Amino acid sequence: MSGAAPYERRLLLRDRGGLLRKLWRIPWSFVLLLAALASIGYVALYSAGGGPEPYATKHALRFGFGLVLMLSLALVDIRLIARLAWAGYALGLGLLVLVLLHGNVGKGAQRWIDIGPLQLQPSELMKIMLALALAAWFRRAGRERMGNPLFLLPPALLVLAPVGLILKQPNLGTGLITAMIGGAVFFAAGARLWQFALALGAAGIAAPIAYAHLHDYQRARITTFLDPESDPLGAGYNIIQSKIALGSGGIWGRGFLQGTQGHLNFLPEKQTDFIFTMIAEEFGLVGSLATLALLVLAIGFCFLTAFRCRHAFGRLLAVGLGTNLFLYVFVNIAMVTGAIPVGGVPLPLISHGGSAMLTTMLGFGLLLSVHVHRDVEFAPAGEGYR
Amino acid sequence: MRDSGDIEELRPPPSPSAMPAGRTVATRVVSEGRPLPRPHAPDLARKAQLETTRGRLVIAAAGFAALFGAVGLKLAVATIIDPAEPKLRAAPRVPDGTPNIGRAAITDRNGEVLAVSLQVTELYANPQEINDPVEAADKLRSVLPGLDRERLIARISQRTVGDSDRPVQFAYIARNLPPRQQQAVNDLGIPGFHFRPAERRFYPQGRAAAHVLGQVDIDGHGIAGVEKHFDARLRGNHDPLRLSIDVRLQVALRDSVEKAIADFNGIGGAGVVMDVNTAEVLAMVSLPDFDAADPGGLQQRNAEAESDGPIRKVVARPAAPKPVHQDQDPHFNRATVGVYEPGSTFKLLTASMVLDAGAANIWSTFDARHPIRYGRFTISDYKGKNRVLVFPEVLAYSSNLGAAHMAQLMGPQRHREFMSRMGMLNRLQVELPEAARPLAPSANSWKEINTFTIAFGHGISVTPLHVITGISAVANGGILRQPTLVAQPDGAPREGTRVLSEKTSETMRKLMRLVVTDGSGKGAEVPGYFVGGKTGTAEKTTARGGYQKDKRIAAFVGAFPMNAPRYAIYVMVDEPKPNAKSHGYATAGWVAAPAAGAVIARIAPVLGMVPETERIAQIQQSISIPLQPGRPAGGKAPVAAAPQAATPAAPRANIPAAAMPATPAAPAQPVPVPPATLHPPALRRTEAPAPFRLAAVPDAMDEAGLASR
Repeated sequence: MSGAAPYERRLLLRDRGGLLRKLWRIPWSFVLLLAALASIGYVALYSAGGGPEPYATKHALRFGFGLVLMLSLALVDIRLIARLAWAGYALGLGLLVLVLLHGNVGKGAQRWIDIGPLQLQPSELMKIMLALALAAWFRRAGRERMGNPLFLLPPALLVLAPVGLILKQPNLGTGLITAMIGGAVFFAAGARLWQFALALGAAGIAAPIAYAHLHDYQRARITTFLDPESDPLGAGYNIIQSKIALGSGGIWGRGFLQGTQGHLNFLPEKQTDFIFTMIAEEFGLVGSLATLALLVLAIGFCFLTAFRCRHAFGRLLAVGLGTNLFLYVFVNIAMVTGAIPVGGVPLPLISHGGSAMLTTMLGFGLLLSVHVHRDVEFAPAGEGYR
Repeated sequence: MRDSGDIEELRPPPSPSAMPAGRTVATRVVSEGRPLPRPHAPDLARKAQLETTRGRLVIAAAGFAALFGAVGLKLAVATIIDPAEPKLRAAPRVPDGTPNIGRAAITDRNGEVLAVSLQVTELYANPQEINDPVEAADKLRSVLPGLDRERLIARISQRTVGDSDRPVQFAYIARNLPPRQQQAVNDLGIPGFHFRPAERRFYPQGRAAAHVLGQVDIDGHGIAGVEKHFDARLRGNHDPLRLSIDVRLQVALRDSVEKAIADFNGIGGAGVVMDVNTAEVLAMVSLPDFDAADPGGLQQRNAEAESDGPIRKVVARPAAPKPVHQDQDPHFNRATVGVYEPGSTFKLLTASMVLDAGAANIWSTFDARHPIRYGRFTISDYKGKNRVLVFPEVLAYSSNLGAAHMAQLMGPQRHREFMSRMGMLNRLQVELPEAARPLAPSANSWKEINTFTIAFGHGISVTPLHVITGISAVANGGILRQPTLVAQPDGAPREGTRVLSEKTSETMRKLMRLVVTDGSGKGAEVPGYFVGGKTGTAEKTTARGGYQKDKRIAAFVGAFPMNAPRYAIYVMVDEPKPNAKSHGYATAGWVAAPAAGAVIARIAPVLGMVPETERIAQIQQSISIPLQPGRPAGGKAPVAAAPQAATPAAPRANIPAAAMPATPAAPAQPVPVPPATLHPPALRRTEAPAPFRLAAVPDAMDEAGLASR
């Protein structure tokens, strides 16, 4: 990388000149949108905690830090980010291995590690790193290359390695979501439909074989994951109480701090996974649809950024990040409304949780960088670059 | 998804050498890894890819939007179109913070309180409000020393539920705090400890009616006995529930059964007293029993622990409760759940059946000279008379052969019908969740051999409550009523089914009296109360089938007074062993009949019955029947009530002179029983090698080990 160093320095130097211009290009209305979502989170967490403590204040502080992180990232040249994509991917993969070896066991799976005061879920970070790495790879892809299976093999491995590690935790839900993010980037990069069909077919054949090789306890976890009713006092209970809370809210809701399901502690995990239910009970269908609309706007902005971006890296990165955000929101809301039987996905910017806030804001920072640098030219540096 | 057509539009026409298709050009370029010869080509290719991805972006965004539409729709469905309602069963659990209070009391028939809920105070902690758990725990223990320090500290320092960050705001410390201790805790003024009203079930009569009453759990819900059967009633209606039980009778019955068990070193016993005309259960005990106020025996074991909270010291809690066999389980109600072979007490039913059907009359004779051989089995009378017996003799001497021959007159089908009519094949409709179904052959497998053995009470198992219910019907004029534990309105006749004619019942009363005056039931005699009844000794069956020769059930069932029966009584001792006083016998005549007599002697006055003294001879005359036609009944006038009349009855050929009591002035003491009434094992093996089997007892009779295996 010694040969690349001057190029990177050049990028940074060039940045310094255009700092004001870059600040101007930051989509402040989008930042405002994020602040609005975080405010909804503050209000909901205020209600969930029965006051500013223990959730709401922390949430606001975390959003503040996240905002600084995001805006800083927005100013970093996207080409530098593209250069560092591989290092980021390696870091994410390393953390995933680390969590398998030394991770903390929570609810029967190794999912997070302690970094100072922070509990980090490497799988959350990995989703962003995967989007980065895939974008870096496919940035070189011509349409013809996309038809070449040999060209698609390395990125497929890029997806499968973290997915395998996450499945081993075991965390089937996050593993699937990670695979879907990879799939979305593949799709946006122009992979052929028959390739998707092939991959799905291979997965369909591999799944039963893999299942047969699992330990009994792992199979039991998958069974519970697929059918929460087999654990009626666990996930099944959550869904039942969540649906009751939604019905209790009705159109206009019971009013701020008036939600019975939440305040009488019927609603489990109301500050994290089921925060949307809190909102729906206290502010009704109107409040929950408004929240959903803001989230959809944020996701839409990701795709808009991808659409307007003139280089493949930024576009694919934005698609990956947008898909990540979409899956968070979709899976969470589908879960609390009982549409799909999944557990353990927070609502970005609204749910309580430092690790989730950090990764979310990291993703938005990258997105803003794409937005700010949407018109930059990628210099043809190195073999195969155009 | 898109073919190469778009790309060709964007790409300049390929050079002829690179024909035929642009695709070939591009492929070659990529595979060779060289820049395209034309400088503008990369831009165009990039634009092409950009277009592709943009197209796909639109598709992906559209897909996502569709999914969001679905989720929004689902949200609308869940919130307003089809909102989920909280399940009703969950609702009573959150009655705006007030605990379940006001469970109705239970009284006996005279208004004596058997179970009552009293207000107590629950002490709980909110761990969020306790800053220094150790200090708080030590202060609290200064007034409640029974609390375990470690567990108390652990409980009040746990601020979140498990691994989650859900806060814990409620932790029980003590659930039954007396007022003085409440005041003491209050005076400590430790923040974070709170009181709330609750109630606790008290059973002032202790063990007296433990099995009838049953139990409630720590939250005051009935989990056994009447408490469970009437749980909804007790919680919904605050008026006391009046049972048919009379606690005075209950105590007397329990004492006598307990004494009989102790005398004969039995492992348990049961007793029932019933009003024959209403089928109200006046007393019902099963021993061993338990203290209703302390069903687990925990308080006994923790006598020194003052507090009664869930975290009190547990001194001797067993690590893991071992499965207790029903023989040892104090919670096992022998009177309604225990099913036992009734033995000879069933001869009363057999006799009633043939008399009522007209298949025999009181002077019919039955050949008891020869054992009945049936397959591998032989039915015989142990030290029998070996002669032809007249009907009354069959009962007085308790002849198995005689009873078998009686039932033979009816045949299996009619026999089974009769037993069904008498309620011996079905679960009783008593107000207890603990009511067992009898074990009897099914209709298909009830063969002649079953009729032979069931005639004298073997090859069928029923509960003691079945026996006394049936015998009540025999004695009361022939009306069978389902037993009840609820006090019936005075004077109102209870509905019942006529199962026997008045005349049959009258004859049976005489025969029952004969058994007590001249047969195996002498020990039950109480002068002046004209007791009648029947003893029954049955060998216990094993779990694997077959009988245990050394383990018996000794029972007496009877009624009094036989001139106008009012009360029926049943006493049973489980596995009595012979003692010195009983001359080596542990049969019902020695064990259960005297116990029944003792109960009657105690409870009859309580029931307001004055012993007859003046018209004894006259009444006895009216209810006596001779053993044989033309032969005067052995029924001598009861001696204790009128000692001057204590002349030994004339012919007592059946009683060996050597076994006669030394003094005739001790009537309550059991007279040695004639050999024929010493209940022999019902069936004897004829061939040594063949395993003992009740071949004709059907497979359906499984649980009590009656199966033919």
